[in-house]
Amino acid sequence: MEFIVYWLSATPSYAAPLLLAALGLIINERSGVLNLGAEGMMACGALAGALVSLAYSSPLLGIVAAAMAGASLAVVFGGLTVVLRCDQVVSGLILVALGAGITGLLGRNIVGQTLPGFREVDLGVISDLPVVGPLIFSQNTLTYFSFLFAAVAWWWMYRSVGGLRLRAVGESPSTADANGINVITTRFLAVVVGGGFCGLAGGYLALASSFVWVEGMIAGRGWIAIGLVIFARWNPRHAILGALLFGAVEALIPRVQATGVDVPIYLMMMLPYLTTLGVLVVASKLDEKRSREPASLGMPYARQDRH
Amino acid sequence: MSSPFELMPRQYSPFWLRALCLISGIAIGLALATVLLMFNGVDFKGIVREFVLYSFVSSRGLAQTISTGTPLLLVGLASAIVLKLRFWNIGIDGQAWLGAIAASGIAIYEVGDPSFRLLIMACAAIIAGAVWVGIPVFFKMRLGVNEVISTLMLTYVAFLAAQHLLYGDWRDPSTSWPVSVTFDENSERLQRIGFGHVHDGVWIALGSALFVSYLMLGHRFGLFLSAIGLSPKGSKASGLPVPVVVILTVLIGGGLCGLAGFVIVAGQEYRLTQYVIHDLTFSAILIAFLARFNPIAVVPVSFLVAGMFTAGETLKAFYQLPLSLILVVQAVILGSVISVEFFSAYRVRINGFGLSNRQIDEEQSQQL
Amino acid sequence: MGNELLRRRGNWRDARLIRMPQRNHSAALSLKNVSKTFDQQKALINADFSVDWGELHALLGENGAGKSTLMNVVCGLYTADDGQVRIDGRQSFISDPQHAGVLGVGMVHQHFKLIESFTVAENLLLSCGDRVGISSLSEISKRAKEVAESIEFSIDVESRISSLSVAERQRIEITKLMLLGADILILDEPTAVLTDQEASNVLGLLRRLASRGKAVVLITHRLNEVIEFADRVTVMRSGETVIDGVPLKGLTESDLAIAMVGEGRVPVESVLDRAQSRTTKIPRLKLQEVSIKMPGRKQGSANFSFEVAAGEVLGIAGVGGNGQTELTQALIGLIDIESGSITVDQDDLSNASITKRRQHGLRLIPADRAGYALIPDLQNFENLALTKIATSNFGGRWWLSRRVMRQNAKEMFRTSNITGGTINSKTRLLSGGNAQKLLLARELDTAASVLIAHSPTRGLDIRAYAAVHEVIRRSVANGAACLLISEDLDEVLTLSSRVGVMSREAFHGPFHPSDLSRSRIGELMAGHV
Repeated sequence: MEFIVYWLSATPSYAAPLLLAALGLIINERSGVLNLGAEGMMACGALAGALVSLAYSSPLLGIVAAAMAGASLAVVFGGLTVVLRCDQVVSGLILVALGAGITGLLGRNIVGQTLPGFREVDLGVISDLPVVGPLIFSQNTLTYFSFLFAAVAWWWMYRSVGGLRLRAVGESPSTADANGINVITTRFLAVVVGGGFCGLAGGYLALASSFVWVEGMIAGRGWIAIGLVIFARWNPRHAILGALLFGAVEALIPRVQATGVDVPIYLMMMLPYLTTLGVLVVASKLDEKRSREPASLGMPYARQDRH
Repeated sequence: MSSPFELMPRQYSPFWLRALCLISGIAIGLALATVLLMFNGVDFKGIVREFVLYSFVSSRGLAQTISTGTPLLLVGLASAIVLKLRFWNIGIDGQAWLGAIAASGIAIYEVGDPSFRLLIMACAAIIAGAVWVGIPVFFKMRLGVNEVISTLMLTYVAFLAAQHLLYGDWRDPSTSWPVSVTFDENSERLQRIGFGHVHDGVWIALGSALFVSYLMLGHRFGLFLSAIGLSPKGSKASGLPVPVVVILTVLIGGGLCGLAGFVIVAGQEYRLTQYVIHDLTFSAILIAFLARFNPIAVVPVSFLVAGMFTAGETLKAFYQLPLSLILVVQAVILGSVISVEFFSAYRVRINGFGLSNRQIDEEQSQQL
Repeated sequence: MGNELLRRRGNWRDARLIRMPQRNHSAALSLKNVSKTFDQQKALINADFSVDWGELHALLGENGAGKSTLMNVVCGLYTADDGQVRIDGRQSFISDPQHAGVLGVGMVHQHFKLIESFTVAENLLLSCGDRVGISSLSEISKRAKEVAESIEFSIDVESRISSLSVAERQRIEITKLMLLGADILILDEPTAVLTDQEASNVLGLLRRLASRGKAVVLITHRLNEVIEFADRVTVMRSGETVIDGVPLKGLTESDLAIAMVGEGRVPVESVLDRAQSRTTKIPRLKLQEVSIKMPGRKQGSANFSFEVAAGEVLGIAGVGGNGQTELTQALIGLIDIESGSITVDQDDLSNASITKRRQHGLRLIPADRAGYALIPDLQNFENLALTKIATSNFGGRWWLSRRVMRQNAKEMFRTSNITGGTINSKTRLLSGGNAQKLLLARELDTAASVLIAHSPTRGLDIRAYAAVHEVIRRSVANGAACLLISEDLDEVLTLSSRVGVMSREAFHGPFHPSDLSRSRIGELMAGHV
């Protein structure tokens, strides 16, 4: 029982970065731009967060820097895919390589240093309640914000005019264009904001998860987030559930290790990746008839009906 | 409101324009890379020295370039044929891992007669690589699962599998490091040919290039591939065997990646180690794009890219710059190349600035 | 001045929802001498058109006559090369659909501009919210309901577009126009995809709108609707206006049909001649009770039963989009038939693969050449050989001899007189006519027994047109059977010995030549059975 409590209370902090990255990708892809560069933007976010929080001893500045770093890399991506209409898959891969390369280059001086970060909150009596205490009231501040962001994102996407316009661009850019919406601007903004969220996710990993920066620390979580978005059918509400699911799987690994049971550690570490794969297979099987992705995902837009 | 620019997708882009775009894209990329290097403290003369002279002209550098290029050639070929079909295999590293694992397994467990063992290792590697890409292909064709994610997830799984084996059953008992036993000198290693570290793997790679070139240019398979890559619907209507060609191509690609893994463990490392396979994927994609998916062009391009890595090693030694720099250079070059392609894909027309038509209408109100 | 303000921002709080447009001139819309050319294709040639306030005006013509193009100019999607557009007497240069909207022009296209996965309210908010100053779903829903009620129909704002029938979606589009304050309404083939009852409903609605002072343009080719509902009619043919705004009093459907299809250069009697000279009666292609699913309005299937004999051309006339493409795809094997049998030379090919049908001599010249007959980015000699490569015809099993392919291509280039490209250049660069010649050269090899030609001369110049017909005639003279599907009635009458008609996704015929008259065909094509 205690195992379960410990496990589940660790879950939100594993879920949060996935959730943030997924939110960023959802905003991005809802406008019709396929973004595979999550890993790169998260890497940049992690490094920027680490550098700034070390330099100014402020995790808050660090997390802001993380978001901005992600957004900056996304500007490059936006330039390639939205303005120049390059192939979105290749551009995404370039982003990953850029992110990995830049961070490897700039981060080598701070490898291993402990970072000032976001610790768990201590709400006094509430945090000491059995079960609910550790589960809900002892997460770190960023985690709470992540879930809050997700709720806000869901509301904005489905209840506001701005969200309506975004989804219109993703479903049918020609119709949106015909209604006076600037497809290019909308997509570019979506890419940059999405990149900011991915940067935020990277910042979380550095400043609220491991409190250290090492090369390759994103370890495929950007890709997992991409799988998560497909599983969540591009809906922030489902992304919350999905992130918790994946977070739970990830949280399982250190918990099991801690119990001392002799489980092959590397096989256990495969779990998140295999889960992603499995989840995608199941999701594809269920959705065999109709895909829920934004109808124009991956296709560059150039107004063609003007002669 | 009309926009000042009007973009018209080109129906057809003439050869000279595409060639110009490719060349200028590479040139811009190299220029940016040079700026980047200078920013990091490398002087221009140093760049020319390391990148051009050392990697290709000096004997030691050339040898290193060739031996680095051997696996790159294999994955470059794999990438070229598969990307032509728009099957995004980004699990190249993973398939190479499986090849390396399979080959190492054969060596460690001493399977088969020693005189054939090398051959068995190679075959096992090819099959393992093909199987590892076969899983995503199966899911894609049956259920439509996105191959980008599936190939990549399997890469992480493959890497972890190797770690598991290296820290476990396959660890060389005589050391405390997570490495396997060294392969037997006579039966399990690709022999050096006498030029630096260059080994027999280079013949395997060149032979593969020959085979793939034959397949793509001499056999009808290549024409099918081109046709399907350009228009799957049209190919189907013309009676071409689309699913067979697609599956075969992807599997051959996987096999080539597995072979790359074999060539690395049996020709360079002589054992399985933790980081035996790294950074092959992006290089392979870069090679494929620069070579415009032509298998013959892949040969020189992959060695040029290998030269980049050789230069990177020297930069590390002399300027303390990490290898990630090379990754940035590669990304910048590929980014420049696809950016400049914009001009060959679209025609840009600048509409006049000034009064928009609506304003003209409102100012000139004429009554009949 | 007050009129201007209303048009620009739609002060819905002050104005009545359906207001009588202030008229400065009796003609709401007037087009004079409008011309438009696309890439050497003359779509509009000095076309004239005008519609008055308070009128329901029908714009009639076959496919390709230019009616949609003309209206697209009015609603800002195209810019005319030449000519004048006047709205309410004032000359206007309409730059884009937004501008057209501000001027009070609204168009409901054949393909609705609605986003499937959104609800009605969301779609309306998206398209109208800005212009009417509303930014909440509940408010736009309220307005929409008011608008609908004032013209006597109801809409469900909560439902998703994907769950609505075509008729309901159309009403949403009309509601949209009302919300945006359109005074000149243009509807492009509104009843093409509706049942008779639904068509009646929407036409009644249009009449109501006209009687409240709006100018309504009805683009159609349904003659009975024109007679019953419209005030005046304009007929277009080949980009020109042949009948300009004539009142409908006293006109019959036959009059309209003749105007639409023209006097014709080819008399029906020539079909009679050809039919009589047909000597062999061995059927090469036979369809028995073949049922093919049709995606269009009825969501049902169409039934086909006919035969085509060796040496014969069976022509199927009819406006495009009535199931012709589905028929060709079913025949060639790209889609499955639901029931019935397709037989070629006594062999049942109903379930055979594409390759097998090809081996039995079935050949298709599709309407969409670049889509799935030729691969535009391959070289000419490659396209010419594509269909035969799989059966190891060039070189051996292990080596593809490009030399043999090229020789073969050279020969075909010569015999078919293909110009404008070499055997090595990309097929994309060939002109329409030459590409078609290429395709025909490939398909009409000696083994071709049944040729299905779908719009084979669409978009071709006169010489290519003649060349294609010559190739078809020659092939048929050598014993092949040809099924010719074309929107060009002249072409059908020139080549065929029997004629059938497809309209409203149903097949009528084949008709014995003595049952035919040109106007009868016109009526059938226009949907009047």
